[in-house]
Amino acid sequence: MTRAIKREAIMTTDLHSNWYPIASSSDLPNRHVYQAQLLGREFAVWRADDGYVNVWENRCLHRGVRLSIGINDGQELKCQYHGWRYANRTAGCTYIPAHPADAPSRTICNNTYPAQEAHGMVWAGEMAVGEVPALDGFEAATVLRPIPLNAPQEMVSNSLLAYSFADGCSGAPNEDGSVTITAGDGAAVRFYVQPVNSNHSVIRGILNKELTGSERLSSLKLHDWKLQELRSKVEAEAAQSEPLAPMEPVFARVSELLSELPHETTDGRTAELRVTVAEKSMTAEGIVSLRFDSIKGQLPTFQPGAHIDVHLQNGLIRQYSLTNGPGETDHYTIGVKREPDSRGGSVSIHDEVKKGDLLAVSAPRNNFPLRRDAVHTIFVAGGIGVTPLISMARTLNSQGHSFEFHYFVQSKNHAAFKQEMGEFDKALTLHEGLSPDETGAKLRQVLSAPGDSRHVYICGPGPMLEATRDIADAQGWPDGAIHFEYFKNTTELDDSNSFQLDLARSAMTLDVPAGKTILEVLRENGINMASSCEQGACGTCRVGVIEGDVIHQDVYLSPGEKAEGKSIMTCVSRAASDRLILDI
Amino acid sequence: MIKLYDYELSGNCYKLRLLMSFLGIEYASELIDFYPGNQHKAEAFRQINPLGQLPVIDDDGLVLRDAQAILVYLASKYDGSGQWYPTDSPQMLGQISQWLAFADAITATASAARLHDALFYNHIDIDAARNGAHRLFRMLDEHLWFAEDTGQDWICPGDHPTIADIACFPYTILSEEGGISRMDYPAIRRWCDRFKRIPGFTVMSGVFPAGPAVDAA
Repeated sequence: MTRAIKREAIMTTDLHSNWYPIASSSDLPNRHVYQAQLLGREFAVWRADDGYVNVWENRCLHRGVRLSIGINDGQELKCQYHGWRYANRTAGCTYIPAHPADAPSRTICNNTYPAQEAHGMVWAGEMAVGEVPALDGFEAATVLRPIPLNAPQEMVSNSLLAYSFADGCSGAPNEDGSVTITAGDGAAVRFYVQPVNSNHSVIRGILNKELTGSERLSSLKLHDWKLQELRSKVEAEAAQSEPLAPMEPVFARVSELLSELPHETTDGRTAELRVTVAEKSMTAEGIVSLRFDSIKGQLPTFQPGAHIDVHLQNGLIRQYSLTNGPGETDHYTIGVKREPDSRGGSVSIHDEVKKGDLLAVSAPRNNFPLRRDAVHTIFVAGGIGVTPLISMARTLNSQGHSFEFHYFVQSKNHAAFKQEMGEFDKALTLHEGLSPDETGAKLRQVLSAPGDSRHVYICGPGPMLEATRDIADAQGWPDGAIHFEYFKNTTELDDSNSFQLDLARSAMTLDVPAGKTILEVLRENGINMASSCEQGACGTCRVGVIEGDVIHQDVYLSPGEKAEGKSIMTCVSRAASDRLILDI
Repeated sequence: MIKLYDYELSGNCYKLRLLMSFLGIEYASELIDFYPGNQHKAEAFRQINPLGQLPVIDDDGLVLRDAQAILVYLASKYDGSGQWYPTDSPQMLGQISQWLAFADAITATASAARLHDALFYNHIDIDAARNGAHRLFRMLDEHLWFAEDTGQDWICPGDHPTIADIACFPYTILSEEGGISRMDYPAIRRWCDRFKRIPGFTVMSGVFPAGPAVDAA
């Protein structure tokens, strides 16, 4: 919102709110990045495999390299320089190869511009709103080869009024700035002139007839020749005139998101998004899948492994991992298992949430980031723990990385998201109905070969997760190669002690009494903390520890991280010493 | 083994590295320090090529200069499939030769602009070089646009690229190093993507690989 307002303040001319054709549809084959310029501003334009046309600022947020020399892999655009990846639709950064273990910040997002595809052309405008110009009489059309030329838009438009391609041609300007030339026999061609820069334009013409075969080819060639002749004339004329200064598009030096403080909130668990339940269906026995569509605007960028908070109609807040693949940015999909001992979360989703309902959800957070520098990745999923791993496997699969996927289920009927898993069925092994002992034996086999740059991602029920971690440890896997996510914390929480809390950066000293969590005390004293599950499973409220011993009661940190004692989950963990100094 | 008198940053040498990679021909590079060593003008090299130009090959005693001539020779001798230089088709040979000459014109303009901008060849008339390259790129873009429109991927007719594509590719893809934008030539930009997806394609400094094609993904 702030971005749009700020732009408006800078750009006051109508030019910037017009729609202009910047490409023919045929200029955007899949897996290609097209380079365009409009009113001096350069765009990288690319079509994702799902058909969506992205019009972005033509520079990588990292070192400013043109994204038009980047790689369109069908789902994401990858910069050639250091491999930063940007998502289809949102242009949010999804991966930074130099920081393989980290989730890129949500604020790293390229500028996107409005785009529409109509009449065989791609239309864009820095601040274009509404519909592209109507082309009455051009319902069936043939798009001419665009002709770039070194001349100002106005000069080109004026010269086109005298364009003639058949007997009895007459030209007339249209309200939208285009020019229509009609021949004696009713054949017409409409020209839009794309203002590339002050002295640079592209003529984009459409015929009011859908032609085929040799008739089409000879017509295309005729116009191509006539327009090139016109180009020579106009360029000669432009060369006589005083050259205009190049247009200077305004570039935001720092994204507004980065230069502003976050909004004040009283509760750390915000649900900033409103979504509709677009689909709800059973994907396996006891597991329902829900598709959420945005009500307004685009959904924020997610990364594989990310989860969202879903605020339920009964007041409960629950976390669910996204199963979306890369580029699948027009919706979120989650999977929810009906828990027999549910406290009301899963039952509410299964029984109360209906297709068409409105729900409040948080933006995606990623505390379970996926490395893409592994030589080989092993996924171990147990039951509904499969959801974040589906998103991860779809990502590795789409980018051609080596992996295997082990999915432990009660029976075939309990295997969820078969369609999504079909994308990587060669890597998928279903382990059905194994006893705990059999599961252990299978896991020893799966995890028999630790090695350099091999990584394991585990998600599933607590006992299975612990067994897997023990087996990996026993077989010599280093702590840093084992990545896991619990979906709940079954630890018996002890909050009976009291201690003093020093906040190093805020210069505050607080007392944490028995019966209250660190998180609660922080919030009571006006310290705004992000949190999500509030049971020590998701990692959102992690804080750095400068001094003091910690009683870790979470299941997010690894044993190594707990032993190191450099961070704490403020929602459940406490001080073992009288005093704890936190890095906030 | 074929010896290639080679310089990493030379687009003309790159033409031969490309063809030999496409054909799987083994060769050894003899590195000539073009810049800043100016070795291609030194006496030792002028005895091999009196023009003092790269590339040169030595194939079992046959010494040849001129990138286009060497493409013709290597494709005729080593391409068993006859697709890169179909010697049995006069129509194709005529068209290929036409585009080999065109490639030489690209070298004379786009490569000259790059030498000016990147390797301090200050005597070159940079405006003339850039304008000349744009004139050629307009023609190539038109040619490729109409080729695409009739389902043709390459400069010459047929389902397979020819040495005409190899000859035109390097100084086209390197044009921005001479201040020559290819934004106005979308058909050339798409052809460059297709070229980079030819099996055996290799890069050089300043040339980036393409992503996977839809079929390969």
